[in-house]
Amino acid sequence: MSECSKSFRLRVQGMKYPLRALLWALAVPLFPMPQSAYAADAQAPVADAAHPKLVVAVIPKGTTHEFWKTVHAGAVKAGREEGAEIIWQGPAKEDDRKGQIEVVQNFTSRGLDAIVLAPLDETALARPVEAAVKRGLKVVIIDSDLKSKAFSSFVATDNYAAGKLAAKHMAEILTKADTATPPPGKINAPNRAQGKVMVMRYLEGSASNSNRENGFLDGLKEYAPQVEVISSNQYAGVTAESALKTSQNLLNKFIKVDGIFTPNAPTTFGMLRALQIAGRAGKVKLIGFDATAPLIDAMKTGEVQGLVVQDPFQMGYLGVKTALAAKRGTKVEPRVDTGARFISVANLSEPAIQELIHPDLAKWLGN
Amino acid sequence: MKKLRALAPYLGLAAAFLLFAALGPAEFHGAYNLKTILTQSVIVGVGAMGMTFVIISGGIDLSVGSLIALATVALARMLNLRGDAVPAWLPWAAGAGAIAVGAMGGLCNGFLSARLRIAPFIVTLGTMQIFRGGAKWLAREQTVTAPATWLNGLMEVDPVPAWLWLAPGVWVLLGLAAAVAVILRYTVFGRHVYALGSNEATARLCGIPVERRRMLIYAVGGALAGLAGVLQFANLTLGDPTAAEGMELDIIAAVVIGGGSLRGGEGRAAGSLIGAMLMAVLRNGCNMAGIPNYMQNIVVGAIIIGAMGLDRLGNKR
Amino acid sequence: MARELTVPLLRLRGVRKAFGAAQALRNADLEIAPGEVHALVGENGAGKSTLISILGGALSPDAGSLEFLGAPYRPAGPREARNLGVAVVHQELALAPHLDVEANICLGRERSRLGFLIGQERRARETLEWLGYGHLDPRARVGGLGVAERQIVEIARALFQDARLILMDEPTSSLPAHDVENLFAVIARLKARGVSVVYISHFLEEVARVADRITVLRDGETAAAGLPASTPARDILAAMVGRPLGEIFPSIHRNLGDTLLSVRGWVSRPGAAPADFHLKRGQILGLAGLVGSGRSSLLRSLYGLRQAEAGETEMAEARGREGSGKRIGFLSEDRKEEGLALNLSVRANATLAGLARFVGPAGLLRLGSEARAVRDVCASLRVRYLDPDQPVGSLSGGNQQKVALSRLLLGDCEVWLLDEPTRGVDVGAKAEIYRLVAQAAADGKAVLWSGSHLPELFGICDSLAVMHRGAMSPVRPVQGWSESEVMAWATSGKADPA
Repeated sequence: MSECSKSFRLRVQGMKYPLRALLWALAVPLFPMPQSAYAADAQAPVADAAHPKLVVAVIPKGTTHEFWKTVHAGAVKAGREEGAEIIWQGPAKEDDRKGQIEVVQNFTSRGLDAIVLAPLDETALARPVEAAVKRGLKVVIIDSDLKSKAFSSFVATDNYAAGKLAAKHMAEILTKADTATPPPGKINAPNRAQGKVMVMRYLEGSASNSNRENGFLDGLKEYAPQVEVISSNQYAGVTAESALKTSQNLLNKFIKVDGIFTPNAPTTFGMLRALQIAGRAGKVKLIGFDATAPLIDAMKTGEVQGLVVQDPFQMGYLGVKTALAAKRGTKVEPRVDTGARFISVANLSEPAIQELIHPDLAKWLGN
Repeated sequence: MKKLRALAPYLGLAAAFLLFAALGPAEFHGAYNLKTILTQSVIVGVGAMGMTFVIISGGIDLSVGSLIALATVALARMLNLRGDAVPAWLPWAAGAGAIAVGAMGGLCNGFLSARLRIAPFIVTLGTMQIFRGGAKWLAREQTVTAPATWLNGLMEVDPVPAWLWLAPGVWVLLGLAAAVAVILRYTVFGRHVYALGSNEATARLCGIPVERRRMLIYAVGGALAGLAGVLQFANLTLGDPTAAEGMELDIIAAVVIGGGSLRGGEGRAAGSLIGAMLMAVLRNGCNMAGIPNYMQNIVVGAIIIGAMGLDRLGNKR
Repeated sequence: MARELTVPLLRLRGVRKAFGAAQALRNADLEIAPGEVHALVGENGAGKSTLISILGGALSPDAGSLEFLGAPYRPAGPREARNLGVAVVHQELALAPHLDVEANICLGRERSRLGFLIGQERRARETLEWLGYGHLDPRARVGGLGVAERQIVEIARALFQDARLILMDEPTSSLPAHDVENLFAVIARLKARGVSVVYISHFLEEVARVADRITVLRDGETAAAGLPASTPARDILAAMVGRPLGEIFPSIHRNLGDTLLSVRGWVSRPGAAPADFHLKRGQILGLAGLVGSGRSSLLRSLYGLRQAEAGETEMAEARGREGSGKRIGFLSEDRKEEGLALNLSVRANATLAGLARFVGPAGLLRLGSEARAVRDVCASLRVRYLDPDQPVGSLSGGNQQKVALSRLLLGDCEVWLLDEPTRGVDVGAKAEIYRLVAQAAADGKAVLWSGSHLPELFGICDSLAVMHRGAMSPVRPVQGWSESEVMAWATSGKADPA
């Protein structure tokens, strides 16, 4: 009962600023609005006439994953510090390119000051972004890269490096498993890791994910040249459900597999469920990406060996900061790395890690 | 010709299976993978059982995918009612509740199309969005985790207890298919479903309460979507408001491959079951044989059109 | 003698046309002189519409010779017929309601230069003026016009396209009286211009006024050709209905029993006079009348398929196990669209209204006893079929109709409302349907039989009423009616022919 009434209260709170909500509803009327987690941050300092309040739209890839809520929190923090208004609006599904293009177009015609965008597609979003820049908006790209020179800065995890980080730890894990019987005659090898590894890819055309996948594959060659990659050409699809089915099918085919890398939260979760159902969770070493609650729980029980964690809070925070700086005419770096950490049971209790995986969303988002 | 049409889904399934057995690795026709395929056909299959009623009666339901998502979220919400100390009755009640949510959704579809006489395609196109929105609202736009209960074991390929041999969800699907086959063939309701789809004027002439029957048919379809939602929940062990997006098309395709006619009056439970399995075999086989996803889309599309072509030929006689 | 001197405009000899098993035209002859108004009369189903469709080019005949202006006439389609000078003014008017009068008149004969339309308003206006309708604005949208004016537009189109022969299919059936007079004036003008008119009508008094000669069709054959307009109405009627009766109708003895259904003050459609009648066990009450006279509305409202405007019905107490099902059964005149679910099996169609009989324990149908019952009833009706699970659509028309009737038998209905039960079935099947219905009446059912074929009504019914524009004549025993009286009532709503 408590859960239900809580969600009800949430709705009521959302209605606290009906006039502003109405204005925005009027501002973007002509396009089919993707279902949105839309909220204007109302607690920002009030602007005066000399310094008109800047308005920044933050457009995530989706609104359902916790990752994006954390980005939202970081964006709100930056907005409060700078006295800017943050509009949060995204497509509901992580492959609704058309919906995201429309959101960008709507905000462009609305004439905001800046857009912080996590593009769903590295080419499809390029033209809308260029149109926005032409209209005088500053655009900062976060999370995934965009094939365009128009935007001011790219604020994101270095996904290739993050993939390599995962490969490094995979090499360690597979080495540890083999320490009892070191292979003869390989004493000076850079790494003695052995076994069969597969990568389940996410979605055709997702730049950030394929960078992670390729970073992992390249890293594996470097850190564990003896490891055999048995599959790296199958795509999981967008939802955890489709990832589960693909995972089951791959696991049934590859009875002997020692390590698996999956490049984001839904694919990791789908693979985890498939391993659980097959009774192979923990036996097959799984390194995933992003820390959601079910994945951290599975890490505690040893079903997931480690997760590469980005800093979405930082991404939202630095994204908005950079956008505002660009709007005010300050020179900004074209590439800002927000960093990635590898977490495992060993370092889970460190305060820095805890802050990373359990950001205080309520403080910034108000629920 | 009619006979061939009835056999076509079985032949298609056998052909697909033999093809992948030849192309794919040896593991494809291993017992464990066969059990996996059966498990993967459960959700589409259960949805297709409800859709079989709807399509035979000359209707269509595009909202089932959204209804499945709504049911998973509702189920997860209900499981959270007592915190982590889940009383023994709660999983049962929550499961029944999810099915009831589905039935209510289906009843909405039935009421709007039968009583207000809006074309079912339009009605369910609308409710598809509404139910999806409802699921997202209820889930607060994120996945809803729930305490572990026996519900989570419904889709285990190696079930507990082991003597079940197949996942409980598979047994649910098989039992349900048998029940639907019996209802369609051996009950007055089943006969009315065929009559409504074949010629509604005749049904009215014969004193069948056309509107009430249609509402019941959509409610049954919705209830089975709710049941599919329970199994979907078991698959991921969480309520996912974005689950089963686009699954309505897989479900409709399963019914059509299995001999259902979108003009109504034709369709069989066994056919729809085979249709669902055929789609699971194709997906599994493509993954196993390392065939890219786009080939899978092309093959499924070709099979749907092929099924329709047989339908036309069968009607020309 | 005189006829041999003038070359006929149109001459048909031995025209035949079959639709599947049904022979719509067996041996039709027709001869039209130039500048003549020629009436074509006959009962429903006599083949008039088929003949019109053949002349208009919509159908091609199976056999027979057709000559137009002395040359063989075989139009490939309506367009070619029009180009040759034969135009049809349809019952359901074939106009484009969104276009204006001029566009409709010129439709298919538009003139253009470099692809751009050239207005032909002057010619269109002249045509209308010539017809006496100069006040009709060529710029008016046809959708906004009344029925009579639309008819004029159709006739103007035929003239505009230089028609030599205009076929009018029941042109007055939906016109009020003064528009009928105007139409007659138009026909007179057409005649004066040398255009021939073939005029199809049920209304014999109109025929007598407007036609020069009359041809009677019966059962797809020409029963009387080129009768002079002065022929007495009763002779025309005799030609329409005259054929040896008796042998195809059953001689099953029936006793009239108690009153089963009483109908009082029943108004089945707005504006009609209320009807009162009783149906007794063992009775077959015939309901005559033209198409659209309200027979179907009466039956459908009694069965509950449409809302009646006023009135009440009373059913006598049920007798024995008859009370179990629905006590009134209805046979639709439209077997394909309503009467049967064609792609369902014979079995499912036969038992659809009476499934309750076959429900066994646990609510499951006893398919075995259902199949036995269907086999029995199909045997008693002599339905020719292979298998109860065969789709009913694969049977012939007569056998389909018997399956539809079997539903009333299996449903244990006491009152049978039959709407044109022998439509589209061959003579053999008709005889079996007569026998079956007579037997049912002898077994204590009450039958209301709506039909348009007079000999049939006289042969099968014991009493008869006639409908005219929604109103019902008094019920009289069939012996109390003459065929011409029935026709007179059907066409005028009065007992005596005009």
